[in-house]
Amino acid sequence: MGLMMSASEGVAQEINDKQLVRTLGRVESAAPAIDVALLAEEASASAGKGVANLPNWQKLSKLSQLIVDIEFENGSVAIEPKSYRTVGLIADALHHPNLRRYKFLVVGHTSSTGDAQHNLELSAQRANAITEALSTTFAIAPDRLYSIGVGEEWPLDTANPKAAENRRVQLINLGLVK
Amino acid sequence: MTNRIAVFGGTIVLTVLALATDGRADTISYADAVSLLANDCGSDIRKYCKGLNLGGGRIQTCLEQNEGKVSPACTVTLANVITSISQRQSAQSSFATICKHDIAQYCKSVKGEGNVLSCLNKATRVNEGQCGQAIIDAGWR
Repeated sequence: MGLMMSASEGVAQEINDKQLVRTLGRVESAAPAIDVALLAEEASASAGKGVANLPNWQKLSKLSQLIVDIEFENGSVAIEPKSYRTVGLIADALHHPNLRRYKFLVVGHTSSTGDAQHNLELSAQRANAITEALSTTFAIAPDRLYSIGVGEEWPLDTANPKAAENRRVQLINLGLVK
Repeated sequence: MTNRIAVFGGTIVLTVLALATDGRADTISYADAVSLLANDCGSDIRKYCKGLNLGGGRIQTCLEQNEGKVSPACTVTLANVITSISQRQSAQSSFATICKHDIAQYCKSVKGEGNVLSCLNKATRVNEGQCGQAIIDAGWR
């Protein structure tokens, strides 16, 4: 198993924790503040209707972030062993001195296969499972981690909402820990 | 900028938990530690720990409870991985204390932990001492 990152230019390259640290550490001083509770409220009120155009969800696009594939057992919150490495890489990056001052949001996404409300709940549980693994197995301080599920409401491939590409996890730098 | 990480099939590059001459195991990254776990325990996890997540010590507890059934390689790897993770955590938390003297000597005016680390990594004399070893053990070089 290798871990690869294809950058936005479409060039696949080997990724390591140093690249993760660099990518996640690019923080603009003008980055918008994010209210995670508000995001959750909006996602919950929008099940089946999408969130991409909601003002608070739009703000997330302006923040330093990565998209990762983390595979789960079917219908479960259990991370597949083949994805342990991805979670470990994230942990290595979050422990680096360049990122230790920052807090992060884990956003779980699904494809549109299945019921929208169920997808919303499962994605939230899975995002929570990732932050729990990071804070327990990998000792990241829990006050640096937030999780939220958005289900099928924000597809990457809007033309094909059932595409596997839409199942993903976003890791977003929320700025300095207060 | 948004980047995408994808996991492709292929061969795991195994990092061996080598014993240094003083008997202390070198630390490995969290990613390498759990890659070893996935490689040596993956099939046992799928067989005996279905539905359990990595967090909260659940996989560890499950594998330990099924010690008679899981492969001997998995049992050894689990113990090594736990040791390695805790050694790296300990190196990271003792960095500030071990490097205090070198920071005062070489990087006194530098602000911010990330900048201090870059400064220490550039100071050749630091590489040879305990602080240099602490940085390596913490996985920051």
